[in-house]
Amino acid sequence: MIAISDIVKSYGNAGNKNQVLKGISLQITDGDFVVILGASGSGKSTFLNVISGLERPDSGSVVYGTNDITKLSDEKLTQFRKDNIGFIFQQYYLLPNMTVEKNVRMGADLAGNREYREMINAVGLENKKGKYPSELSGGEQQRASVARALAKKPKVLFLDEPTGALDEQTGRQVLDYICRLHKEYGFTIVMVTHNQNIAEMANTVVKMNSGKISEVSANEKQKTAYEIGW
Amino acid sequence: MIVGMKDTVKLIGILVIAGCAVFVWTLFLNYNIDLAAMKDEITTQAGMAMYQAQVSTGKVVAAVSGGCLVLTSVVMLLFYIKNYIDTHSKELGILKALGYSGLKIAKHFWVFGLSVFVGCVLGYVSAFCYLPSFYELQNAEHLFPEIKVQFHLFLAFLLIGIPAIGFSVLAVLYAFLRLRHPVLDLLKEKREYRTKVPRRETKDKPFLKDLAGSTIRERKTLVFFVAFSAFCFSAMVQMSMSMKDLSSKTMAVMVITIGLVLAFTTLFLSLSSVVKGNTKTIAMMRVFGYKYSDCSRAVLGGYRLFSYIGFVIGTVYQYALLKIMVTIVFADVGSVPEYNFDFKMCAVTFVLFILTYEIVMYGYSQRIKRLSIKSVMLE
Repeated sequence: MIAISDIVKSYGNAGNKNQVLKGISLQITDGDFVVILGASGSGKSTFLNVISGLERPDSGSVVYGTNDITKLSDEKLTQFRKDNIGFIFQQYYLLPNMTVEKNVRMGADLAGNREYREMINAVGLENKKGKYPSELSGGEQQRASVARALAKKPKVLFLDEPTGALDEQTGRQVLDYICRLHKEYGFTIVMVTHNQNIAEMANTVVKMNSGKISEVSANEKQKTAYEIGW
Repeated sequence: MIVGMKDTVKLIGILVIAGCAVFVWTLFLNYNIDLAAMKDEITTQAGMAMYQAQVSTGKVVAAVSGGCLVLTSVVMLLFYIKNYIDTHSKELGILKALGYSGLKIAKHFWVFGLSVFVGCVLGYVSAFCYLPSFYELQNAEHLFPEIKVQFHLFLAFLLIGIPAIGFSVLAVLYAFLRLRHPVLDLLKEKREYRTKVPRRETKDKPFLKDLAGSTIRERKTLVFFVAFSAFCFSAMVQMSMSMKDLSSKTMAVMVITIGLVLAFTTLFLSLSSVVKGNTKTIAMMRVFGYKYSDCSRAVLGGYRLFSYIGFVIGTVYQYALLKIMVTIVFADVGSVPEYNFDFKMCAVTFVLFILTYEIVMYGYSQRIKRLSIKSVMLE
């Protein structure tokens, strides 16, 4: 369970302060698939960064079980990310000078996962494991970053607009891989997107507007990546 | 303007190296020219032997030290241009897409030669200021008629004009060659990573070891600079200690100053480039939960071995150079003391080197610690 209470986050100095998150509270159950929906500038990416421990809030708490990560030192926060969190970004951020296999190994080594090649096979990149990111298509790069994130066996997977740079067909394919692996491994998913259709795949949909949560709803029937509109 | 003055400020390394090269050249060449003008006035056999030795010294020092420094400046210039094109690939791609030819863009890279010009001027002027003391030192031996410092216009042009023009032309030509990439590759900032078929099955190395290896392979020029920095430290510090006995204290101070300036400039510049070039990798490692120490070790640790190699080469180089000078160049001059390898000095220099290198490395690992994950991801 992730209990998020009254998160406030601002940027800029005293004279020119921009409050991006205005006291957000939310609870995420283990194994849940949460989609955070919002327009550009609504604060959804900042919210994701704060709850994943990439940024510290000005006030409020983010408690994983009994562990409030906003109180952790830098070193302990790093250890926390290492043990619990996986990330997938819109821009993939694969290491350009490493092959697919070595990029995946980056995640796997942190968890002592020696079976990381299974993850490469699971995202359908077994024939591309020796290729560099520049030799792959956008969809293949994102699948590599999915394998990298999951090879470290995270308890929570954070995704920031994972299909933002992909075309419809590739986007559906990547989401399908993520959903299938979610069902198989049971980790929690928190995905930020501005695509309303993707929300139909989630259990819980959180709508954000101007730094606040405007609505939280539950989906009774989840759709697959090939059933949603685009 | 494609390449601004701000970009040339980063070429401080070339400026320093060019300055040192011209300083050494001015000192020895100016002296040799003034000495040659006095040749007919040298009447004693000892004086003639000393004259030959001085001329040979000038030639050896100018060729070996100056040549080595010029080569380093060339490598550094090419490295900077490649780095500049890699980091500004998108902007250059847009210009090419708009219809600017590669040559038209490359022409603007002449400003990289400015750093060489400034370095040469500084080297020449500082050497010229030092020449009276240098001549006084030589005159004190009373082996030659008194030599006065003369200004030689052609030497000034040779040491300032020619390098500045040469380096500017080289910069334009190299930039032209590098800009021949297709427009789309420049726009997409596509680096030249291609899958290689391994000759045999490669070992299943841990990620951090792989990363350390790939950081080195990707930036081989920086390996050269780190080794060169250690080479300068080792050769010049040990040489200056021996020079104190073989030549004079002034020469010893000059040699150690040049050595340390070169060593630190190249080390700082190369390590800054390593950290800057790996910023995104470090940020992503931090996101995934790698510790600062893991990041530092993977990115910087691989260079340690090469710095030791540079130290060993520097030790051998200074020993060989001084041995040649003493046994061959000054063979006919009676008053030169015997020269042998100083193991104690070598050990002291090595300890000093390790201490200095590790302190600098610590400084850079602190810099890695200060990298903000978010700022990298927002780029």
